Amino acid sequence: MLIPFTACEDKLDEINQDVSRARSVDPIFQLNRAIVNQGPAGANIVYDWAIIRQVHTPFRGVLEGANSNQVNQGSTVRNWNTFYPNVLKNLIDGIYNLQEDGTRTNALSIMRIMKAYVFMVCTDTYGDIPYSEAGLGFIDQNLFPAYDTQASIYSDIISELQSAISALNASGDNIGQEALFGGDIDKWIRFGNSLLLRAAMRLSKVDSPTAQAIVSGINQSNLMQSNLDNAFVAHQTPYNNGGNANFNNQESSNFYLDSVFVTHLQTNNDPRLEKIAIRYVGATSGNGQIPDVASTDPAIQVGLPQGPDQNGVEDILVENGVVSLYDFSQVNRNTVGAQEAPGYLVTYAQTMLLLSEARFRGWAAGDAAEAYEEGIRAHMRQFAQYPGSTAVEEADIDAYIAAHSLSSGTELDQINTEYWIASFLAGYDGWANFRRSGFPALPANPSQGALTGTSENFIRRLVYPDAEFSINFENLNAAVSRQGADLLSTRIWWDAN
Amino acid sequence: MNLKLLDKVFVLSRYAMYGMFLQCVCYTLVFSEVREDQNKGKETSGEPAVIEASYKIMQDITITGKITDENAQGLPGVSILVKGTTSGTISNIDGSYSLDVSEGAVLVVTYVGYQTKEIIVGNVSVIDVAMALDVKALQEVVITALGIEKDKKTLGYATSNVSSDEFTTNRTPKFMNALQGKVAGVNITQLGSGPQGSTKIRIRGNASLGKNNQPLIVVNGIPIDNSNFGVNNGGSDDAIGATGPNNNMDTGDGLSSINPDDIESMSVLKGGPAAALYGYRARNGVIMITTKNRTKGSGVRVEYNLNYTNGSVIDRRDYQYEYGQGENGQRPTTPFPTSGVWSFGEKIEPGMTQVLFDNLTVPYEAQENQLKEFYDNASNVTNTIAVSTGGENGGMNLSISDMTSKGVLPGNEYNRKTANFGFTQKTKKLTVSGNITYSYENIKNPPNIGEQDFSAVVMYTLANTMPLDVLRDNAFDEFGNEQAWSRFRNRTNPYFALSRFNNVVRDRIIGVVTAKYDFTDWLSLQGRIGQDYWSRDQDFNVPNGTQSKGAAPAGFVNGNYVTDIRRFRELNADFLLAFNKTFGNIGVYATFGGNHMYQRLDVNTEQGSNFYQRDLYTIGNASQVTPNYILQERMVNSLYGSAEISYKGFLYLNGTIRNDWFSTLSPDQRSILYPSVTGSWVWSQTFESMPDWMTFGKLRLGWSKVGSDDDISPYNQSLFYRVEPQNLNGYPIGQIDGGTIPNKSLRPLNTVETEIGLETMFFDNLVFEFSIYKRTAENQILTREVSNASGYSNTRVNVAESSNKGLEFAIGISPFRSTNFEWRIDANATFNKSEVISLGTDVEGESITVGNSFFHGELRQVVGRPMAQLYGWGYLRDPDGNIIHDANSGRPLRSAEQIEFGTAIPTSWGGITNSFTYKGIMLSVLIDFKLGHKIISGTHVNAYRHGFDKATLPGRDQGYVIGEGVKNIGTDENPEYVPNDVQTPVQTYYETIRGFRGSEQSVFDAGSWQLRQITLGYDFTRLIPDNKYIKGVKLSLVANNVAILATDIPHIHPDQNGIMSDLQSGLEATGIPVTRDIGFNLNLQF
Repeated sequence: MLIPFTACEDKLDEINQDVSRARSVDPIFQLNRAIVNQGPAGANIVYDWAIIRQVHTPFRGVLEGANSNQVNQGSTVRNWNTFYPNVLKNLIDGIYNLQEDGTRTNALSIMRIMKAYVFMVCTDTYGDIPYSEAGLGFIDQNLFPAYDTQASIYSDIISELQSAISALNASGDNIGQEALFGGDIDKWIRFGNSLLLRAAMRLSKVDSPTAQAIVSGINQSNLMQSNLDNAFVAHQTPYNNGGNANFNNQESSNFYLDSVFVTHLQTNNDPRLEKIAIRYVGATSGNGQIPDVASTDPAIQVGLPQGPDQNGVEDILVENGVVSLYDFSQVNRNTVGAQEAPGYLVTYAQTMLLLSEARFRGWAAGDAAEAYEEGIRAHMRQFAQYPGSTAVEEADIDAYIAAHSLSSGTELDQINTEYWIASFLAGYDGWANFRRSGFPALPANPSQGALTGTSENFIRRLVYPDAEFSINFENLNAAVSRQGADLLSTRIWWDAN
Repeated sequence: MNLKLLDKVFVLSRYAMYGMFLQCVCYTLVFSEVREDQNKGKETSGEPAVIEASYKIMQDITITGKITDENAQGLPGVSILVKGTTSGTISNIDGSYSLDVSEGAVLVVTYVGYQTKEIIVGNVSVIDVAMALDVKALQEVVITALGIEKDKKTLGYATSNVSSDEFTTNRTPKFMNALQGKVAGVNITQLGSGPQGSTKIRIRGNASLGKNNQPLIVVNGIPIDNSNFGVNNGGSDDAIGATGPNNNMDTGDGLSSINPDDIESMSVLKGGPAAALYGYRARNGVIMITTKNRTKGSGVRVEYNLNYTNGSVIDRRDYQYEYGQGENGQRPTTPFPTSGVWSFGEKIEPGMTQVLFDNLTVPYEAQENQLKEFYDNASNVTNTIAVSTGGENGGMNLSISDMTSKGVLPGNEYNRKTANFGFTQKTKKLTVSGNITYSYENIKNPPNIGEQDFSAVVMYTLANTMPLDVLRDNAFDEFGNEQAWSRFRNRTNPYFALSRFNNVVRDRIIGVVTAKYDFTDWLSLQGRIGQDYWSRDQDFNVPNGTQSKGAAPAGFVNGNYVTDIRRFRELNADFLLAFNKTFGNIGVYATFGGNHMYQRLDVNTEQGSNFYQRDLYTIGNASQVTPNYILQERMVNSLYGSAEISYKGFLYLNGTIRNDWFSTLSPDQRSILYPSVTGSWVWSQTFESMPDWMTFGKLRLGWSKVGSDDDISPYNQSLFYRVEPQNLNGYPIGQIDGGTIPNKSLRPLNTVETEIGLETMFFDNLVFEFSIYKRTAENQILTREVSNASGYSNTRVNVAESSNKGLEFAIGISPFRSTNFEWRIDANATFNKSEVISLGTDVEGESITVGNSFFHGELRQVVGRPMAQLYGWGYLRDPDGNIIHDANSGRPLRSAEQIEFGTAIPTSWGGITNSFTYKGIMLSVLIDFKLGHKIISGTHVNAYRHGFDKATLPGRDQGYVIGEGVKNIGTDENPEYVPNDVQTPVQTYYETIRGFRGSEQSVFDAGSWQLRQITLGYDFTRLIPDNKYIKGVKLSLVANNVAILATDIPHIHPDQNGIMSDLQSGLEATGIPVTRDIGFNLNLQF
């Protein structure tokens, strides 16, 4: 009896091997998954970009968010539910395997840089979040990770970046299959340092000595040197630009440029407006938004004011001289808003503007105005990277810069206002930098919603997912008692008053 | 003469259909071999089973006579067979017969439910036979686990036999649905998923906290695959469910491929003890189906059955039609797609108009008949023809059938063709029987349910002034794209939705061959091999130009096309050695057996999108193709044995033991040994003198333990990775496959069940049975949601324990009975109390979330509470219970925590059948009920937030709502509540529940009482003159889902929820409307 049973056992083992699936992949492939999945989506438009008055929607329901300053769990959970299970899980798993392996330092380092980037977006969105225990569901069987304080998260992100950057070595292991820079180690070093600059500057309000110490330690020649160093996803079907998908598909007639943004660009004769905005003049419906009536003429662009929802829009239509909501200006879906438009993580323009502020504060050597102008120029030149004929004429750039030279006393306002423009559609950083710097001084949404009665005029963070309340309550509760009530108006650590 | 002669005679028995209901009008026929020892102990039946007529040697003679029943009335349709031959006849309408026989022949006279008689032909030419009812002997044979036939009185556990009439006369496309309310302990839920859909069967509650508590289906002794292609039967990522976009469709289950006309008998093994020999797969109970493999009588018989039903949509919407389409109190006046699905518009007045689509002005008037205008009538036609032969040494049965069922969704059709061949052949020692069933199922356009795109949801959220003809005529634009009709582009125009196609074709062959060899009269060996094989091809599209899909890149057309090809094979090979001997008063029946089970499933899927050319749905035409291949194998080896010891035929003790080895578990966890013990005492046969009224009485006790690897799919111990078929500019993309954390230490779960039962009959008439059971499932493997911050969504752990305690009873009585008229009441009811005992934590109130609604609400398991608790957000209330409103906006605020609303599983269910027979006319009326559970109605959530529900009328006339309740003018810490006086715009106020996912307003008692079936039948056989060709004509008029007698659920039929998974019980998302069906069943015998 024994022999047949041993045979049976072997057969049972053999049956339980899945021959159709992989037991491992190159961690670089997982990095590429993270790169593709980290970009913004519709939920970020209704919060991140609507808060800073660049794009919003008059419609409520599923698109509710900063347009009425309400909690919409359908959107507030987005970064959490996209990053942890898709992006961070793969980064943390890949890092774990590369550490076990021990021979691929470059691969390991770029995954650590990407992980720092994603965690920064995550903590900037919610404040305290699971960090040190996150993503370890399989590796450590940690199913209910504790929340770390944002201060400790930033501290670790900064040291991770410093350590990963210094470990990169052009003569080390080949990382040619990574999708962000095609294996260019120098570009990874510049991306890492530019991200480090961003992380350090984030602390300017809450801990300026630390910010200064880190910024002053960055070798400026290791920052991004031109638009060629921009960190972006070169979107290509089926990996489309997730934010822009909303300007093209089922929500295409629902999002409009904010009147504040349009007016600012018009007032300043900004040549970028023509590349950004489109108006379907006289359109009375989504179907009426056809090329025949489209105009990119900056003079006739009309941004949609915040405040009223589709209720009683008549007054607004009259005030703005448009015939319907569909007659307001939109993000041009053939250019910057195209589905295949690049999705930026960190740009040379943003880096130069941050450097300008650092120089102005005396934390970095060099002329603030020079970096400021270079930042503006870089962003305008960056338009050439979008589909369609979007390159801004050099003469227009020069004229704009000449008219907007850095003036004494308004440096921080000017630099960060340009940062606001330079961050248009470029990831998540516009809202974070607005909270950090306090510039530009945007008018508040008249519809204060959940902010009513608080001391805040703008959403300072997004609320935690409902699921965490039912599944990971104790850990979440500890975070809430440290950080303050789980509200849109609660300020996160670096956003100190 | 004598008993010895009886030794190998087949006896036809009538059974009193214990444990089920409606039985006195319906009988099942089962062949059984009567064992000698049983006959010895059966003197109490008092039957001189063989009548010796005095005789002398004669040549061929013609015998005539009359067969009468217990009331001396002529009994038609009785089989009179010359023993040892195939010649015989059937008694005619008045019970008389005529037959040519040889001298000395033995007539075997059989009729369902009566004692079989054998008569030796003597020197008389007239033989009248008075048949006696076979109630006293209770020779009810039950097909038990592994196909072992047993006398019901020996069983120490609850079983129910189900007559095939129960599901063939008044039938539903999903035939098991017809048993709703008829079998004690069994809860059948019909789903609002169309005629091709699945049936949800739960025996004695949900056996575990898992997603699928469907019983095992065994056909001719071989388990068949009952994979379910129902909506969201996944619930976790191990399920190979539907693939591709907008494919929330229910395309049936394993039972779908069975033609009910082929079923000879069905028994339901309810508890663990009953099913112990099926082991690991039987923890949810077993439905044993035996298909026909020979005729009931002798000779050649041809039977034809025609069934036709026509169903009309039951529209239960109770919408408001005072205010029409529009938002914020305005009707659509500009040429843009309005919401199309919002009815917060203006008060409807005569002569008003609205602007729809591209500047189309149409009257603004209530459209109350949208459902009836859009949906068709359903119909179902089944034709079955069967030829069978029979004789003492065997016979065969061949049937073919065709069922064509049209659903209410235009274009939805379900066709099933089956061919079934069964045979049995005996020699002195060897019996060989077999069955092969081929079925072909063709499903066209099963309805998509529960999601916004392409689904029934839209029909329930169309604005109440949206004229359907306008929707229909403008569904397409000039290019053939969907014309935008709603600013919500994922609400597919229902007429555009009809342009998509979805075809499912399934071929299935189930075959089994059994050989049994009797070494002696006390030792036999049986070998059996059976295979269930099916292949299923599906292809479907999402049409070019669908609004909800993103535009394709320039130069391409959007849409999707998916092909999905699956093959499944399950092989079972088993042997059984049986020992059966009597030693004095002691009988011993022992078996030893083993089973080898192997399953293999492979799935090939290709999804294409971004097409080169319009209207060409092929993979080749797609510029972007995502292929996927899945292979799953599993194997279980088992050894088992059983022993039954009987004393004097009234005391029985039975034990089983089984060991399983599972391939799905790691080597040190894969073996599990488990036993069962049962006993029964037939007290009515114990004592010499029993009162006359005590016809039968039995007490039984059972205990069992069953191990199972259910809920563990193969390959659960490892983490897998995936490389995406599409790269990004040449850079490969890969990731961890799946969101479930693998767990190497999973072990089999255990189900322990104890039951006590009583089976009694008084006055040959009043049947009363009940069972008390307690079933505890320990070490359940639970898919537990974990924090997304762990990187994963869930994990599986052996932590859960839950129990079901219950009482089920069946009662049958004839309050009035006379020669021509009988009124019979059969009723059954089950009361079941479930409890979650542990989830890894024993702390009362700790919970896990197991499923989420398509709309609002979630399902949790909570320690110390009944299983399947519905949870959702509600309103924030002050200490006095008033709703607190936002002090600025006046909108109601969300509760601080989710609220527990109650269990989603009924705590009692059952049915009452009243049947009346009068001179061959039979009328039966079934009322069934399910009570004690709750529902979060997604349909109501939508009706409320879209302004259809009448509760959204207050405030419309003045244009604002002042929410009833309070507002807080103090601080959060020191609240001060004053009556709310804030004016909130009407739509904003009622829509608020969507923002905070409020469920409280949409929770209802899910219980219902329904007049489920009415059947009116007449057996015309007695009117037919003695005709050689037609031997029987039966016609029944049937009605199903006749009326809802009581329900609290608004807008939908209580059975309209279309979701199969137990992880989404009670989380209703609009299904396809339920139909009220009427039709007829015609049965002809030749």
